[in-house]
Amino acid sequence: MSQDYSSRGSVSRIDASISVPVRTFIFSSLLWLLVASVLSLIVALKLQVPSFLGECPWFTYGRIETLQRNAFIYGWASNALFALNLWIMSSLARFELKSSWLPVLGGIVWNLTLTYGLIQVLLGQLNGFALLEMPKEVAPAMVVAFLFAALWPAVAFARRPTGNVFVSQWYIIGATFVFPVITVVAQLMLLWCPTLGVMQALVHSWFYQNLILLWLGGSALSAVYYFVAKESGRTISAYYLATVGFWTLFLFASWTGPATLLGGPIPVWLQSVGVVAALLMLVPTVITAVNIFGTLAPRNGIAQAWNNTTLRFVLVGAISFTLSALLNIVFSTRSLNALVRFTPFGQAQEHLAIYSFVSMVIFGAAYYILPRLTGSFWPSAKLVHLHFWSCAAGSLLFVVAGLTQGWAAHGRTDFAVSALPGLLAASLLLVGHFAFALNALGMLAADKAPSNRRSY
Amino acid sequence: MKNLNLILAGVFFTLAASFGGLLLSGQVQLGQLHRAPAEEGGPLFPAKEPGLAIQGREVYLSLGCVTCHTQQVRPAGQGNDIARGWASRPSVARDYVLQSQVLLGNRRLGPDLVNYGARVKSDDEVHTHLRTSMPGSVMPAYGFLYTQSKDGSFRPTEDAVALVAYLKSLKIDYSSPEAKLKQ
Repeated sequence: MSQDYSSRGSVSRIDASISVPVRTFIFSSLLWLLVASVLSLIVALKLQVPSFLGECPWFTYGRIETLQRNAFIYGWASNALFALNLWIMSSLARFELKSSWLPVLGGIVWNLTLTYGLIQVLLGQLNGFALLEMPKEVAPAMVVAFLFAALWPAVAFARRPTGNVFVSQWYIIGATFVFPVITVVAQLMLLWCPTLGVMQALVHSWFYQNLILLWLGGSALSAVYYFVAKESGRTISAYYLATVGFWTLFLFASWTGPATLLGGPIPVWLQSVGVVAALLMLVPTVITAVNIFGTLAPRNGIAQAWNNTTLRFVLVGAISFTLSALLNIVFSTRSLNALVRFTPFGQAQEHLAIYSFVSMVIFGAAYYILPRLTGSFWPSAKLVHLHFWSCAAGSLLFVVAGLTQGWAAHGRTDFAVSALPGLLAASLLLVGHFAFALNALGMLAADKAPSNRRSY
Repeated sequence: MKNLNLILAGVFFTLAASFGGLLLSGQVQLGQLHRAPAEEGGPLFPAKEPGLAIQGREVYLSLGCVTCHTQQVRPAGQGNDIARGWASRPSVARDYVLQSQVLLGNRRLGPDLVNYGARVKSDDEVHTHLRTSMPGSVMPAYGFLYTQSKDGSFRPTEDAVALVAYLKSLKIDYSSPEAKLKQ
């Protein structure tokens, strides 16, 4: 890896104007990442030694996994995406944030609410809807906090001085719009005025797919487009298709919910609609692949990307996105779905999307953004290497674990042995995340007075 | 694609379309579902849950059981749930109309529980399963649900009693208009 994670040594006016909120978000996301990584190690240990931490109702498998999922999605990924979306949009729209205390306030409320919600979960106040498990009073507060924290990219877009628009900006606007809408609808229909019977499962599947594919996936795709174009210095190949890719992703992804309920007690026509939408996801998948890999593939671009820290992470993320989208398409067909449904393989598929894709892209972006924001260097290149290789290996092992555990679920081989790759993966990710956090926190701490380094 | 309002309107439309197509039309079909007799004039199913079972569902939720256990049996041809003996008919939407929170689940580290109440023989069997770790099972012992008295015997806590009542209430041992029990 070259030393491209070095910085220019000065901070631009735009970066200085959003420095405080972006730092707040990145700092919070780092803490949550470490929490989530420790929790996922506990989850993996519990599959080896079920009685581990089993004396107390606080640490049941169900509660720990719920904590892990929420800390990871809302704590790590969402905080980091607040930072990324704000930074990318400000940089593309030449936006200087005047009232940076508003997003900071939003971030603080978001994190305090999340902490409160997770403590309640630990104490046993949880329901059965994944990613809405926290007590019902938490969700409205999080929506309000989200608006304060994440609305700024839209403001930046509306006030941009130039007429030029890049595909990343659409994705940020779309993703930012989706989160509050789906969260409000899902809360109303599940927690405040619950719908009847299996309608709840249907509402939840709609919420969940939109959250993963559009809020997390859409935001991360924006970063993929941005950094691939920026760091390779090339124009996006077949750029005219990017519009189609954007609209088809948003159109089809939000119909895929019922495809995650195949065989369940919901009307068959709804399941079929979900399957059709899931198959149609092939369109945005192919288009993004053409855009991204078509840009990087010619003229030895992949090798160049590999030698660039940011692009190396983003490349792994983009490959994981394509792979996970293809797996989702293949395993949405009824006969194949029957094989893998309810098995740990489904979890591995999801891991590919939210970890190997979204998180790897966030890491890559952080390696680009932080030096520009702080005007300092990454403290240790060794830690960057350690971070990349442990996370890449951990990602791969999680897929392997999905296969071995899925095999065990069918063949009734020993479950603990089949879960060993998962334990190894969780340990590797923990190591990688500590390396990353150490590096990033070192950087944030080394630069306590950004105002001194502004260059006008 | 340069206008903020246009992008927002477009994204709003995509969400509204799936909301209408999936959730509203789903609500039209499922929102009116009630208990029904398997045959004209017969008793209504699903039967009302006993109060203790309703309390037990809270325990089930609070311990996070739904993380590892589903409560749905897929029809034959879509997985081997029925062949595994979890129930003798697939679960249908009507089975869930009385449940305040539907816990279909989406992962099976343990067996499906939608018909668990019909599979177990006695309360003691369930208590033993909860209190001790079964050989070869990845499910831990939930020892904190029990207190040990001086003579060495175990007494279930209120939570354990409610949880067992809930688990035993999980049954699809009746025919519904959509799915008849196989004779």
